[in-house]
Amino acid sequence: MHLKKKVIAGVVAAGVGLTASAAFADDIRVGITMRMVSENGQAYGQMVMDEIDAINASGGINGNMIKATLMNDECKSDKGVANANKLIFQEKIHLLIGSTCSSVSLPIVDVTAKAGVAQMIPHSTNAKITQKGSEWVFRIPVSGRYYGGVNAKYVGENIGTKIAYICAADAASVGDCANMEKQMRSRFGVDPAYRADVQEKEVDFRSHMQKIKSANVDGILVAALAETMARALVQSYEAGIGEDVRRIGSSSASNAPVPKIAGDAAKGVFFTAAYAAADDRPIAKLFNEMTRQRYGIHAPDHDFSQAYDLVRIMEMALKSTDLELSSSSLAADRTAIRDAIASVEGYEGLASGPISFCAAPTPQCRDGNRTAVLIGYTKGGEDFETEVLARVTMEPDFGLE
Amino acid sequence: MFFLSRLANMIEALARIHRLLPWVIAYALLLPLPWIMTTFFNEYLIDLANRACLFILLAVGLNIVKGFCGQVTVGHIGLYAIGAVTSAVLSLEPGGFGGALGFGLPVWVSIPIAVLFTAAAGLVVGLPSVRLEGAYLALATLGLGESVRIFIAVTPALGSSTGLMMIPSPSIGSFVFDDFASYYYLVMTAAVLGIYFSFSILRSATGRAFQAVREDTIAASVNGINVVKYKLLAFVLSAVYAGLAGALFAHMPPGYLHHNNFTVIEMVTLLLMVVLGGIGNVWGGVIGAIVVTIAYDQTKDLVVYFMDRPIIIQPLVFGISMVLLVLFMPRGIGGLFEGIQRNRRFIRRSEEKLGGTA
Amino acid sequence: MGFDYNSLLAFIIFGVTIGVVYGIVALGISLIYSGLDIVHFAHGEMYMFGAFFGLVLAHNVGLPYPVALIGAMVLTALLGMAVERVFYRRLTRAGGGYTVAGMGMIICGFGMSVALVNVAYFIWGAEAEPFRANLDYIPRLQFSGDIEVPESYVLTAIISVVLMAGLHYFLRHTKTGLAVRAVAHNKDIAYLMGINVPLMISLIFGLACGLAAAAGVLIGPMQSVQVEMGYLMLMKAFAAAVVGGFGSLPGAILGGIMVGVFENLGAAYISPSHKDIYAFLLLILVLMFKPSGLLGIEAKVKA
Repeated sequence: MHLKKKVIAGVVAAGVGLTASAAFADDIRVGITMRMVSENGQAYGQMVMDEIDAINASGGINGNMIKATLMNDECKSDKGVANANKLIFQEKIHLLIGSTCSSVSLPIVDVTAKAGVAQMIPHSTNAKITQKGSEWVFRIPVSGRYYGGVNAKYVGENIGTKIAYICAADAASVGDCANMEKQMRSRFGVDPAYRADVQEKEVDFRSHMQKIKSANVDGILVAALAETMARALVQSYEAGIGEDVRRIGSSSASNAPVPKIAGDAAKGVFFTAAYAAADDRPIAKLFNEMTRQRYGIHAPDHDFSQAYDLVRIMEMALKSTDLELSSSSLAADRTAIRDAIASVEGYEGLASGPISFCAAPTPQCRDGNRTAVLIGYTKGGEDFETEVLARVTMEPDFGLE
Repeated sequence: MFFLSRLANMIEALARIHRLLPWVIAYALLLPLPWIMTTFFNEYLIDLANRACLFILLAVGLNIVKGFCGQVTVGHIGLYAIGAVTSAVLSLEPGGFGGALGFGLPVWVSIPIAVLFTAAAGLVVGLPSVRLEGAYLALATLGLGESVRIFIAVTPALGSSTGLMMIPSPSIGSFVFDDFASYYYLVMTAAVLGIYFSFSILRSATGRAFQAVREDTIAASVNGINVVKYKLLAFVLSAVYAGLAGALFAHMPPGYLHHNNFTVIEMVTLLLMVVLGGIGNVWGGVIGAIVVTIAYDQTKDLVVYFMDRPIIIQPLVFGISMVLLVLFMPRGIGGLFEGIQRNRRFIRRSEEKLGGTA
Repeated sequence: MGFDYNSLLAFIIFGVTIGVVYGIVALGISLIYSGLDIVHFAHGEMYMFGAFFGLVLAHNVGLPYPVALIGAMVLTALLGMAVERVFYRRLTRAGGGYTVAGMGMIICGFGMSVALVNVAYFIWGAEAEPFRANLDYIPRLQFSGDIEVPESYVLTAIISVVLMAGLHYFLRHTKTGLAVRAVAHNKDIAYLMGINVPLMISLIFGLACGLAAAAGVLIGPMQSVQVEMGYLMLMKAFAAAVVGGFGSLPGAILGGIMVGVFENLGAAYISPSHKDIYAFLLLILVLMFKPSGLLGIEAKVKA
């Protein structure tokens, strides 16, 4: 997929290292650390930068420009922490956006909490991120604890309770499996009919499919990252498990590699996510068209929509504050920005429901997005199609102990 | 070159007064670094220095088994992982944040235990070296190192894919080592000690035995050197370095470990450091670690445009550098210095023999 | 309750079908080892490039799958020969890789692996690509009622046999093959006999890379094609080559099958989350207790 727009100079890593970092007065400095080397990984970061460009082009924030620095953390915690440190202490950012992978966001929460910089999370779903008691973290995506409940309810009521679990060993999927299991147990009193914990980049699921075939289940939950999930889906059909056994995906199922690689095997798969391209609201249709043109993708997944909503919320919050933006007001400015984001209430954007934050350092306050959408693939392949099966808004303390 | 020569002369003069004097002075010179960084530059550079010190420990340790003793090991990052995870697990509170194990030991206790445990693991990693050499040994150690990482990745008690969180920082009484500057003193001291001991080893009988084993195992054993013992000892010593580095990495703020901190890519980066600096040269490991850490930090996000798409070029440059280094500069930067030092010694000895100045 | 023999059969079949792919890659590794005395740590990337070349030929150029397979083999062979000639030749000439304290070739291999992966990122990006192959003319097999073996696996088995037979014929019954074997046995004597040793070395390397490419193209429809696919395959193939015996060609295929079966049985009966460790375990055990492998001659100590 070729990007059609060039990235602005902000992508280049900050500074020449040993020179004193000039405290740019009048600029609002935003640091971004994301996983850039993945399908669409570049496009997500690109979109954030493009949107910030657009804000600057139409006058910035109350006359101040946003200076954004985008860094790649390769989904590795040590690189993410190093990026965060560099952005906070060398670039002296006012706000941090990061990161994509849960295993990277988790330690960064401690860094931002200690340094006193607001952190807006674009993509991570692991529930623990907001359970660390940090006053500085704000999560835009739907937390994994919500997904489990929505999935379980729909599965149990519409498909059956005998479910086989295939759980890959990446941070998001481990959480998804755990959440689903917990919800199925508390709602229906059932345990997984079969459970396989496979490696993160597993390529051969045939032995599991063989066992699942003889277990006569109602459905198969595949919790894995996109490419791995796609392979599992394809191999489930190759093993001869019929269409009557429904395939259920974790939230990664909304990423484009799943229908692209799985092809026909993606048809009928359903999953919970935060945004559906099949959403028929005008704002969604406009967004789909915009991403199609700008980034050459067929249909945006919720990682696109969440990145977009994040920038809008950030813009809203920044515009509502009065920042001094001098080199001595750094701490005060950072706190002001944090408070501004915390008072965002009822933001209606691409997310399938309103996003609201509040000041307390609790998951109820910091998981702003509580609406999950149940989506099904009606067609696989590069030009995949989806339909919205249900939309559920949960209570703030759903899924917490 | 002239400047370096003068510097070397000065150091030798100091060493004649007392053997340890150059080391003490060097250590003293390094002490105010955090203050200099914060006042003239920014705090982030201290974090960079901390990471460089960890890599110095790793590179110097790797040099003992690879450079001094000539054993091809590509699993060193696994020992680093063992040191890190052991110290983390020992010092975490029980009932940890993700089903992780925890024993609640104080950090000053968990670090030495982790180092000892890693030394024992180093013994295990070294066992293949008794029977294997060259590429076979490389394969075996690679397999061991990767197995360690995979094992961590799938064991919830060790963090699994969520990682180990909230690993406590070391503390003395009420003073906690949880910011860049205080941690710097810990890791810098460890690195300096590590370099010093590496020199001690190199110049001792053990070091000579290592080198004998490296050059020709048969000749060495004919000369009465217990080849097996020294091979294993080299692995254990390097494991001590790796274990200490790992433990210090674990407790570094924000105290988080994940299995993908220990992949083959990290191992290849370590190899690059050792090759760039010069295998078999103690300062080589130090130079390589510092150069690569800084270079990596500076070039990390550089992009070039290829077919309208921004591409991050740093990994490619690193890979090609490794190939070119091996082809054209196999003795590394340290090798260049060794050459200079040899020339200087030759000149001095000639002067002595001829009884006059050149 | 009786032991589920049906499942056991299924797991063994799965192991064999994936094992032959490991074997093909291991064949290449063994060839390079016996011919050039080096262990090629970048061989996984040849496998990956082969898969991508095949993908491009099949999807973008529109060639039928078997033609794309052959095309990919040729292209990757050329790539491999170029890499060997430009980079490795210097090192191997300096005494079989014993520069940089005996680790030259190994470190060079790692560096080349990183470089090749990133060149692939440049060209194709990080996305995984599906490899849709029209395999309708291949039968799908079914064992004892419900063990399905999809077309791609059947094709892989057939192609592996063909490749093995072809290689065997080439080495045993052609003059060039004889020259290759002479070079593998002793380069100096082969040179004295008038054989163009540098040419043979290039040929051996190209052949090995072509084999790796074939494996990549075969795997494509089974697993999708991605820039990072080389690393894990390399580990499994090393295990296969070691188990079968470095330098032994039938050993490579046998070793591959053993690794495939072992890891599938381990995943099925012990624990699936440790699947890759089983291959490493096998590798280490064999290296420790019988480094020459099942069919190898002696453990030649070369870089």
